[in-house]
Amino acid sequence: MRKGKGLLALLAVGALGAAAAGCSGLGVQPWDRDVLARDDMQLVSDPVEAALDEHIYFSKEASSGGQGFGGGGCGCN
Amino acid sequence: MQLKRKASTSIGASLAAATAGLLGQSPGRAIAQELAPWEYDTAILLYSESDNRVRDVSLNLDARKEVREEAFLNLKLAIDTLTGASPSGAAPANTVQTFTTPSGGSTFDIAAGEQVLDPSFLDTRTALAANYDFPLGRFTRFDLGLSLSDEYDYSHSGVNMKLDRDFDNRNTTFTFGLALANDSIDPVGGAPIGLAPMTATGGNKQGDQSKDVTDILLGVTQVLNRHSLVQFNVSLSESDGYQTDPYKILSVVDPVTGNPVIAPPLNGLPYLYRYENRPDTRDKQSIYGLYKRDIGGNVFDVSYRYMTDDWDVDSHTIDLHYRWNLESGSYLQPHLRFYSQTAAGFYHSVLFNGTPLPDFASADYRLSEFDGLTLGIKFGRETRRGEMSGRLEIYQQTGSASPGSQVGSLQSFDLNPGLEAIIAQFSYKFGG
Repeated sequence: MRKGKGLLALLAVGALGAAAAGCSGLGVQPWDRDVLARDDMQLVSDPVEAALDEHIYFSKEASSGGQGFGGGGCGCN
Repeated sequence: MQLKRKASTSIGASLAAATAGLLGQSPGRAIAQELAPWEYDTAILLYSESDNRVRDVSLNLDARKEVREEAFLNLKLAIDTLTGASPSGAAPANTVQTFTTPSGGSTFDIAAGEQVLDPSFLDTRTALAANYDFPLGRFTRFDLGLSLSDEYDYSHSGVNMKLDRDFDNRNTTFTFGLALANDSIDPVGGAPIGLAPMTATGGNKQGDQSKDVTDILLGVTQVLNRHSLVQFNVSLSESDGYQTDPYKILSVVDPVTGNPVIAPPLNGLPYLYRYENRPDTRDKQSIYGLYKRDIGGNVFDVSYRYMTDDWDVDSHTIDLHYRWNLESGSYLQPHLRFYSQTAAGFYHSVLFNGTPLPDFASADYRLSEFDGLTLGIKFGRETRRGEMSGRLEIYQQTGSASPGSQVGSLQSFDLNPGLEAIIAQFSYKFGG
């Protein structure tokens, strides 16, 4: 419960940060998106490799997820 | 003359597209454009642990097609073939030890001083997923998905959805995701009764088990400038149901000598081992941050994840890539990953004879305190129809035994020897 509250606080800080970012002149105009539009600048630039890594680390460590959902769906030994 | 006319048509089309772009319309509406064709992303992966432990050969196919304007269907197929030996959780001993295979059909011996690996590990896993990703108005995207997987002793079905909403000229994106899964477990020989003694005939077992998993993700992505962006996520995950590994056991040892304890009569095995038992709920929470930056045409990214759960596992993960874009469409990408976790509160390397049994106990190394390190390199190059790439990585775990467990004869053994693995992958993308 204590940890849950801590995470909610972090979320609130993150949301405020993002809202502040929205007003603070961060970002680019639509015609300045040439670099960000490149395949290698996407949040997940190689989805298959990301999914394979998620599957490996889900199977070998006690943590999962973070960027996406936690993987799983296997009885991995 | 003809050349001139063609050129003017082309300029006209470009102008129409540019005008449509300025008016905030997709060029596809201004000019009747065909939907994007199928794109395929294929990969073969080998994951291989040293000492003849687990080996996985994984075949993967992702296919993507624009089925309506800006709406994509994604289909995934993965087939994993697993072989090798897996640590059973039992501790090494200064004598030969005998164990029962999960089916109860036979026994196997482990020499004195050797790590206890169950050699009967063999499985094939088939996983299918389908997602439909489509726009809802100009600033929102919706992704709906189904996932299914099947193994000899395990099956999974799940649904998931993700909503992305853009703000501020698409510089800020909020994400909400929800995934629900139901897994059923039908262990070879039945699911053991938690902490019951292992017997030579595979007794003390019961029927099938299941669990439900709910994942929630809240995130924000922010473009910082023309060259960089950040992503920040908070995730909650709740598992309810059977979380025990039905094939893992613990050694019961004498608290002074550290030697294995003689099994009771009729047990059929020389020494006493107990099946592990985990709580039937688990709540995990994590925060995740990613920073990605273009540096003169190359790409650097670093991410950090903190995860905590009510099993007392806390973990930190740092992941770094640097994609060095070479001439002629090739690239070289080193990868470095650090991982560190604390042990689950019920992780015990061994159980001591004569002390009351805890409610929950597991000697699974994945619930121990350990550090992980991954070092890798990837090379990719453009081909006429897409891209091919290969990567080679090493993954190493260095673990610790539970505090106070290395008594008597156990002091001469490594109760958590860690693991080393090689990850090799070849990928080929084409179509589109």
